[in-house]
Amino acid sequence: MLALRRIEKSYPLAGGSLPVLKGIDLDIEQGEMVAIMGSSGSGKSTLLNVLGLLDGFDGGGYDLDGVDMAGLSEKQAARYRSQFLGFVFQSFNLIAFKTALENVALPLFYQKVSRRERQKRAMEMLGKMGMDDRSHHLPSELSGGQKQRVAIARALITSPRVILADEPTGALDSTTSSEVMEVLREVNASGITVIIVTHESDIAAKCDRVIRLRDGVIIEDGLSSEVVEPTANGAGPV
Amino acid sequence: MLNRETWIEIAHTVTANPLRTALTGLSVGLGIFILVVMQGLGFGLQNGVQQDFADEAKNSIWVRTGRTTLPYRGRQPNRKVQLRNGDEVRVTQEVVEVPEWSGRNMKWGSFVQYKNEQGYYPVVGVEPDFKGLEILPMAGGRWLHVDDLARESKVCIVGGDVIDGIFDDDEPVGAFVNLNGITFRVIGHFSKEGRWGNRMIYVPLSTMQRLFDGTDKLDQLILSAGESDLEESQSLVETVDADLRLVHGIHPNDQRALRVRDNQEEWAMFDRIFKGIRLFIWVIGGFTLLAGAIGVANIMAIVVKERTVEIGLRKALGASSGGILSAIVLEAVLITLISGAIGLMAGVGALSFAAPFAQHDYFTNPEVNLRVTLVSLLVLVLAGALSGLIPALRAVRVKPIEALREL
Repeated sequence: MLALRRIEKSYPLAGGSLPVLKGIDLDIEQGEMVAIMGSSGSGKSTLLNVLGLLDGFDGGGYDLDGVDMAGLSEKQAARYRSQFLGFVFQSFNLIAFKTALENVALPLFYQKVSRRERQKRAMEMLGKMGMDDRSHHLPSELSGGQKQRVAIARALITSPRVILADEPTGALDSTTSSEVMEVLREVNASGITVIIVTHESDIAAKCDRVIRLRDGVIIEDGLSSEVVEPTANGAGPV
Repeated sequence: MLNRETWIEIAHTVTANPLRTALTGLSVGLGIFILVVMQGLGFGLQNGVQQDFADEAKNSIWVRTGRTTLPYRGRQPNRKVQLRNGDEVRVTQEVVEVPEWSGRNMKWGSFVQYKNEQGYYPVVGVEPDFKGLEILPMAGGRWLHVDDLARESKVCIVGGDVIDGIFDDDEPVGAFVNLNGITFRVIGHFSKEGRWGNRMIYVPLSTMQRLFDGTDKLDQLILSAGESDLEESQSLVETVDADLRLVHGIHPNDQRALRVRDNQEEWAMFDRIFKGIRLFIWVIGGFTLLAGAIGVANIMAIVVKERTVEIGLRKALGASSGGILSAIVLEAVLITLISGAIGLMAGVGALSFAAPFAQHDYFTNPEVNLRVTLVSLLVLVLAGALSGLIPALRAVRVKPIEALREL
């Protein structure tokens, strides 16, 4: 489904450049639930952005569903994002003046789906997230967990084949984090590939596969039970 | 582009910071208000001057005399130059060929009485051709005839103000009025535009000369330039001027002793002046509006900066560059159009309110015409689109990842 070959990525700096991804090779199959772990600056978010076509890459190759993603224009990237990918962000990124329902329906607006159909599908999606009773609330009227459920509903509304989540529980307490991870597991159970960037072992342990990055290189890639150390409170692979 | 969602989004962003939107709108509204008011004032000035010309035919040439200011051929200055009937005959029969002409003598503040009503009005002695030299729409009765002049008839034609002043509801035609102690029969009346015209009482020039002046003196001589263009008309003026200076011994540079005024030339001069004034007003108004548009562009740039994350997010969610561009340009157009329309209405309202209080000899009806209004609206839409375009292009260039990094 997603195949990275020798991916290189650097950020320009004054007087040179900072390599962030150094020859990443990675295959992720349809239906996998993958956690990308690493310390700050390891390149995990950059890797997610490259996978999500939010950022380009300097070298190597990237095939998404068998199509080469090298040298895409902004417009082409937007089309692939809209067709294949859904995003969940740490800070939810809900539009403040739109209700939960309107936020969820927004991607369908850009796909020129009719207003009636948008509302129907957005309501159904909120119902799946257990948020149908909060559909007409603004983000400021929702808790952190509820906001993230709305964000996940928005990511799922276009029926993507891959969900990319950047620290989806980073702004949540442990109980709410568990609830959100439960939702993501349910999403994954429906056949959607879920890729989560996290620095929390507890969260990574709830995924099937864990990839650990250090200084732009994959240093570990395996089952979560093999990669994630059990924490003091006993959390481990599910 | 113009679907409901787009308008809702624009409404949200416009109302999200009402004070800022209002202040931005104020700058545009004030710009268009100033433009409209200045246009109105320009038209008021033009209307005032046009009204001054409304009394006279545009192709008339007016000859007036005064006192000499320069010695010439042994004659001392301060000598009064007097036109006489002989001058009129010579000029019109020997010097130039003109289709119509008339002498004109005037007595300001003449005592006029009808029954028990009385007043003071200007009495003007003219010849029948005068009707073609000054615009005199007859409202009843008839104008002077050559026979009235030949017989030195005691007949008169009165203006609308005279009828309002002393006739009440009586039919003026056929009535007898007392002009400076002599009875005249009213043979017609007129109603005209212009500042003074309706206060006049016209009598045959020959009658006035015999009854009131006792001489063949003329105050003024008026000639028609007919179908002549400006160049031919000026040639007529030069010929008449040269003849009268020669006959009356007037220095060629003595402007006070003799003035031959060409209405066509004056009209052309005023036309040039007003074109200049209109251009000036458009330039000033345009710059004022430009300042407002720059204000909108500035605010839109701030809005785009503030919404960078949101724009990036929307692009990540599938928004097209065209959609983002059109929404921002539409937002700028909406702000300029609404605030400009308010400024436009305020300007028209202010002019309408002030118009009755702003009547002056050289200023009247400070109106705004449809063309100016439509051009102003067009300028507004363009200003709005331009002021939104640059920030919109910047917004379109926002990459989702760069926007989301600002979190």
